[in-house]
Amino acid sequence: MMRDDGGTAAVTTLVMLPLLLIVLVGVLELGALRAVAYRATAAADLATIVAVGDQDQAELVRTGTLRLAPDAVDTARDYFARNLSATAPVLAASAEEIAALADVASFPTAPSIDPRTGARYDRPTVRLIASVPVRTPGFAALLLPAVTTLTIRSASSPR
Amino acid sequence: MATLETTLMVVILVPLLFAILEFGWLTQRWLAQDGVTLQAARYAGELGGDRPELRSYVQDQLRLVGIEPSRVSIEVEPAYVAWRQPVRVSLRTDERIAIPFVFATTITVRSTAVARGEVSR
Repeated sequence: MMRDDGGTAAVTTLVMLPLLLIVLVGVLELGALRAVAYRATAAADLATIVAVGDQDQAELVRTGTLRLAPDAVDTARDYFARNLSATAPVLAASAEEIAALADVASFPTAPSIDPRTGARYDRPTVRLIASVPVRTPGFAALLLPAVTTLTIRSASSPR
Repeated sequence: MATLETTLMVVILVPLLFAILEFGWLTQRWLAQDGVTLQAARYAGELGGDRPELRSYVQDQLRLVGIEPSRVSIEVEPAYVAWRQPVRVSLRTDERIAIPFVFATTITVRSTAVARGEVSR
C-alpha cells in the first residue's frame, strides 16, 4: 500500500503556525517585561543610594555619626522619577506619577524595623516600594491584561 | 511538493530563529550597557562630573561586559557638577541586526542614569 503524504507538512504548519505565533508573542512580551522590571529596579536602587549618600552634615560634624538628610525621602522620590523616565515610552503612567505614589520611607536611626516589610535595618536606611504599570500590548493581543503592574522594592543604607 | 514545503518552512522558520537570537543578543547588550551607565552615573557624582577617570572607568566596565568601548558614545551633563546637583550620564551604541529574508537595520541602544553630585567644593 502506498500512501500519499504530499502536503502533510504544509497542513501541519498551517495548523501549528498560530500556536507558534502565540508562544512567540508571549515570550517576547515576557522578555520585554523582564527588561523593564530590571530597569525600574535599577532606577529604584539608584534613587535610594542617592538619597542615603547625602548625610545630615550638621549631625555628622556634631556627633561624628552618619544620619540621613532630612529630605532623604523627597530626594529618593525625585531621583526615582528621573531615572524611571528613561523607560517612559512603555509605562502606562508618567514617571512622576509613579514616583509620587511610591511608598518611600526613611529610617534615620538604627536599628529599626520596617512596619511594612518587617525587615530590620542595622543602619540608617531609605526604603522604596513602587507599583510600576507597564504597557503590555503583546499580552493584550492574547486577550490578557493590556497593562501589567510590577512591584519594585529597594532599600539602601550608607557605609 | 517536498521541495516547496521545505522552501516555505525555511522562509518562515529561519527568520523566526534569527529574530529570537538577534533580539535576545540586543537585549543582553542593552541590559549590560544599562548596568555600566548606572555605575558610571554614581561615579560621576562622586568625581563631580565628566573627568578622565570616569571615561576610563566606563571603558573598563564596557570591556568587562563584552562591549567594545570605541563603539559607545558617552555624554555627561553637566560636565561639572556641584554638590547636590543632578548629573546625567548617557551611553549610546549603534547595533546592527540582520534577519535573513526580512530586513537588516541599525538600532540605537540608549542608556541613561541620573545621580547626584557628592563633592562639596
